[in-house]
Amino acid sequence: MSVGVFLVLLLGYFGATPGFLRVENLRDILINAAPLIIAACGMTMVIVAGMIDISAGSALAVCAVVAGLTAKSGAALPFVVLLPILTGALIGAVNGWLVAAARIPAIIVTLGMMSVLRGGVIWWTRGEWIGNLPASFSAVGRGEVAGVPVPVLVATSVVLATALLLSRTPLGRHVYAVGGNPLAAARMGIPVGRVLWLVFVMHGALLGLSALVYASRFSVIQSNAGAGFELLTISAVVVGGVNIFGGQGTVWGSAIGGLLLQVISTGLIFRRVSEYWAPSVQGALVLLAVVADALRTRRAGR
Amino acid sequence: MQTAFRVALAAIALFCLMSACGKRQAPSTGTGATGAGTKLVIAVMPKLKGIDYFNAVERGAREAAQELGNIDLTYDGPTEGKVDQQIPFIESWTLQKVNVIAVACNDPDAISPALKRARDKGVHVITYDADANAEKSGREFFVNQATFEDIGRALVDEMAAQAGEEAKVAIVSSSPTAPNQNAWIAVMKRYMAEKYPKMQIITIQYPEEDQGRAFSMTQDILKTYPDVKGVFGISSVAFPGAADAVRQAGKRGQVAVVGLSTPKSMREFVKDGTVKTVILWNPVDLGYLTVYVAKAVAEGTLKPGATEFEAGRLGKVKVEGDQVLLGPPMKFTIQNIDQYDF
Repeated sequence: MSVGVFLVLLLGYFGATPGFLRVENLRDILINAAPLIIAACGMTMVIVAGMIDISAGSALAVCAVVAGLTAKSGAALPFVVLLPILTGALIGAVNGWLVAAARIPAIIVTLGMMSVLRGGVIWWTRGEWIGNLPASFSAVGRGEVAGVPVPVLVATSVVLATALLLSRTPLGRHVYAVGGNPLAAARMGIPVGRVLWLVFVMHGALLGLSALVYASRFSVIQSNAGAGFELLTISAVVVGGVNIFGGQGTVWGSAIGGLLLQVISTGLIFRRVSEYWAPSVQGALVLLAVVADALRTRRAGR
Repeated sequence: MQTAFRVALAAIALFCLMSACGKRQAPSTGTGATGAGTKLVIAVMPKLKGIDYFNAVERGAREAAQELGNIDLTYDGPTEGKVDQQIPFIESWTLQKVNVIAVACNDPDAISPALKRARDKGVHVITYDADANAEKSGREFFVNQATFEDIGRALVDEMAAQAGEEAKVAIVSSSPTAPNQNAWIAVMKRYMAEKYPKMQIITIQYPEEDQGRAFSMTQDILKTYPDVKGVFGISSVAFPGAADAVRQAGKRGQVAVVGLSTPKSMREFVKDGTVKTVILWNPVDLGYLTVYVAKAVAEGTLKPGATEFEAGRLGKVKVEGDQVLLGPPMKFTIQNIDQYDF
């Protein structure tokens, strides 16, 4: 797991700056990384299945707006939690149907979906931010249970659940099979289309959850949130050692990958460097991870 | 695989077709232009219709038209802030031979040929809010809502008043290439050195247009520089993001947050005291002044070389070269913020 090594190295490097390793800061890092980690779990399933989703950032914006408006309408908390998740699942269902049934490549489907959702959310909100959110809503993103921040709790549960799903259930094994070799999977009698559709639906639902955790952290919600979030999520997954061609990788790796990316943006500010360079450093890490992965595969192949 | 490829091609084709159709949509032509008799026909175009900011501009424009009398005012524009959707309006207004066109341009260069054609047909052209390329468009005046100089100085003065003249401050900007933000920062640095030599900028961060990034950057700034006394949030995304971080860190009243945004998006932070002042211009006044300038240009009472201009309730405003200046920016505080809904 090269990603774990990266994380330890970077924590060491940034940890040398005063204040970085203090509990409050580590806690902020975990909270800020939570939405990314949740989304990265879903993206792991998608990529392991040999697919990709580049509409994730736009879907995050739509679900965040849904969450905010539901909360503002005075709906009960269960609705505020469920509606964005259902919205995400619905978006995933459409993506998944187009990929699985209409057999359009995922990159094309989600490219279209990315623009449709981004345009739609601007048209819907007229670019206005959503403010005046009730206190019960903020409790989701800023609350604590037994001293643990809710976002961290949610992210941990999602990592555990998706890890179990992928490694311990028939569906999980099917996901690896479909991503590894779709033709062989189909010959083995695995319902490839259904597996793919389910993966997109679950991924969508997790995006909805991610959006909820993200949006409830703020006092006002930006209607145009999540620009570039899809690439960040894919980066987390790839840094985490998931094979971009499908069939290999774990949720654990992606979760650490997500954490790593957040550590970089916080760490750069502590190192008194402009955080603007964070994407460049993160990109370099993606390249490193891919090269490490390629070398390992080649060595294993010999 | 081949079917998949074909379906994909069809999907792309459909996509392109849809976007092409959108662009060709003809604007609804203003009816006011014909049969107006001696009335002065003024057509005002926002960057886009339907957002609070430009609704406020329209309100000011209508107020001025009514006050001046004998003006036929058309206020229309695209629903998205795109220059290719603005051009058809200009073309149709040119054909209708309106007297004056006033435009808030989405792109200074792309719009200029259309404005030039209008000028060649004898239509007066002015710009407001966002200028066109002055040379290529031949526009007569630009109604400038706030100079970089005025905004930069107002921001620094406000910070000095709130955080003290020796404060260590951070700037949360937009992207490193954003022209407005960079121009403001340049003014702020120069003005600080002149007037508050002990004030110090400790870091400038660029969250681009991402609220989450602006928020976590400000969080990290507060932890990395415990002696920071003020944060500038100089975009409509950075300001609420920074204010939210200061509020959630429990540093309300200890760290001043000063910046530029619309009063509506900052209302919550002003109400709870995290933010004392929001700096911006008044878009109602901008619309008002634009119509006054439009009339004066059409009637030949405002000509190049003027240094002052009388604009109704705004009194005398400055004219510098081919720009009419709205004046110093406005401050929105807890006292007046409820009166503005943009």
